[in-house]
Amino acid sequence: MSAIDVHSLGVTIDGAVLLSEVTLSLEVGRWYTVIGPNGAGKTTLVETVAGVRAPSTGSVLIEGHDVHALKERDRARLVALVPQHPVIPAGMDVWDYVILGRTPHHGLLRGGSASDDALVDDVLARVGLTRLAHRDVTTLSGGERQRAVWARALVQSTRVVVLDEPTTGMDVRHQTEMLELLRREVDDCGLTVLATLHDLTLAGQFADDLILLEGGRVRETGLARDVVRSPALSAAYGTELRVVDVDGADVVVPVVTRVSERAVTSST
Amino acid sequence: MPHAVPPSARRTAIVAVMSVIVMIVAAGAALVIGVSSVSGTAAIGDVLSHLGIGHSSLSDVQDAIVWDLRAPRVAMALVVGAMLAVAGGSYQGVFRNPLADPYLLGIAAGAGLGATIAITRIGNPASSGIPTYTPWLAFGGAMAAVALTWSIGGRGGRNTAATLVLAGVAVSSLLTSVQTYLQQSSSSSSIESVYLWLLGSLSGASWAQVWLIIPYVVICTLVCIASGRALDVLSVGDMESRALGLPVSRVRFLVIVASSFGTAAVVSVVGLVGFVGLIVPHVVRLTVGTSYRRILPLCVTFGATFLVLADSVARSALSGAEIPLGVVTALIGAPVFVIILNISRRPTT
Repeated sequence: MSAIDVHSLGVTIDGAVLLSEVTLSLEVGRWYTVIGPNGAGKTTLVETVAGVRAPSTGSVLIEGHDVHALKERDRARLVALVPQHPVIPAGMDVWDYVILGRTPHHGLLRGGSASDDALVDDVLARVGLTRLAHRDVTTLSGGERQRAVWARALVQSTRVVVLDEPTTGMDVRHQTEMLELLRREVDDCGLTVLATLHDLTLAGQFADDLILLEGGRVRETGLARDVVRSPALSAAYGTELRVVDVDGADVVVPVVTRVSERAVTSST
Repeated sequence: MPHAVPPSARRTAIVAVMSVIVMIVAAGAALVIGVSSVSGTAAIGDVLSHLGIGHSSLSDVQDAIVWDLRAPRVAMALVVGAMLAVAGGSYQGVFRNPLADPYLLGIAAGAGLGATIAITRIGNPASSGIPTYTPWLAFGGAMAAVALTWSIGGRGGRNTAATLVLAGVAVSSLLTSVQTYLQQSSSSSSIESVYLWLLGSLSGASWAQVWLIIPYVVICTLVCIASGRALDVLSVGDMESRALGLPVSRVRFLVIVASSFGTAAVVSVVGLVGFVGLIVPHVVRLTVGTSYRRILPLCVTFGATFLVLADSVARSALSGAEIPLGVVTALIGAPVFVIILNISRRPTT
């Protein structure tokens, strides 16, 4: 059984087609990254897979369950979502923020248990936030804040996690640290990850597979090293992209023509 | 590694104990305040004797003053203050709006219209005073207003916080305009009675009224407090709350019903007492942080204490006359709110 099965998924809002006929089958314990130009439908896809956006057509099955037919609580036990711009409540400390991830494991009016507390402590240690556990979450740096959001997703204890641009606003070092944390959970715990990323080099280096979206449709899927070399990539982005080998690592770079040269080229 | 008790939990426990002590002292002091001089120990001894503990040293007249006049008034202040503060805190959580108070969805306007109809149209327009059935019409008006707001703001399942607040503004404006018209077209004695009711008062509090509203207040308060964890989840917004497994619409409905029902119950008996539901949760927030699991239980003691103190001022500040309770809560509440704003604006170091 696949971790995630997407069948003929379509999302149309006010006549605008955001996704059309998307069909995917994602295996357990692998990291899939959705890439594509702005407006390709990446966020719409991951939000629909996470169940927080309703599809117009088609369906999403996670571990065999139709996520849009489930109650919120049951769905949140199957899939965790890390949104692109998480709401960070002012004044809440990191520990209180992270334990929000245990919500689907409580009754509506029932509190948590000692095992919930122990899990939060364990996850905070795994993401390196133990010493900041009682800091106001709004006072954290961008990288620390994103790790707190990631910790909240981990204590949700799902086998599938969906992340929308988990490295937004981070510098290169923090981006790498964040993605290494993710990679470790995939490798060590068998997590299935569906993420979106803008940075094609990081997408190619950290993910097992890439899904290239363009205009709401899947243009290419496959192993990361194959998709970054595909001609479809340059076509989707509307600019020439090349893959450079740097000590065995694929680096995706755009072929930039200087403005003055472009002007000459276009005038001739 | 065992989980250490966080500093916020220790602080909350200390604040809780202190607030209970202050509330008991304030209630005891309120029993003593009045024209008839009764010592504190004698007044408390009298109350305890009615609860089956010890014997009263007061005369029959003094006993009547303490037990039949002052004690129900103090009890009513405790109950109403606690309910309004818990409802205000719950509204602030459910709407993620620090300016929310229990009257946000039209309760004040609905109760005001119900009371105005009772006083100016059903009662004897020529007589002054407030008819005995006024609380029932006020309660009905308050609940009808909230139901109307919900039916407008929540139509088609789109009951987001913003649409409900906007619907509440519209319903309040509509009902207030009708209430103003009825008031303006009534006799001057009726207008005076309506104003007295609108400003709130505990002067007519009786044990019968206290026992009447206590079941509503206890149930509604417990539901709100039990929803504290859900309100903490709501602080990350509707979309993330749903992703975390929270049935957002159901929680919002439950908390709004409990808060509104409790508020309508107390308002129907004592009139419109403002500022308690707005100010008290902010004061609690300053002492124990932003988690509604900690804020809402403490709103009980803080709100009860605030209204007991405000009512003590209302009945003792002027000799021979009472200041309307709503005026006192506003006079205290407005400067306190400005102070809270200034404290909140200070940059954290």
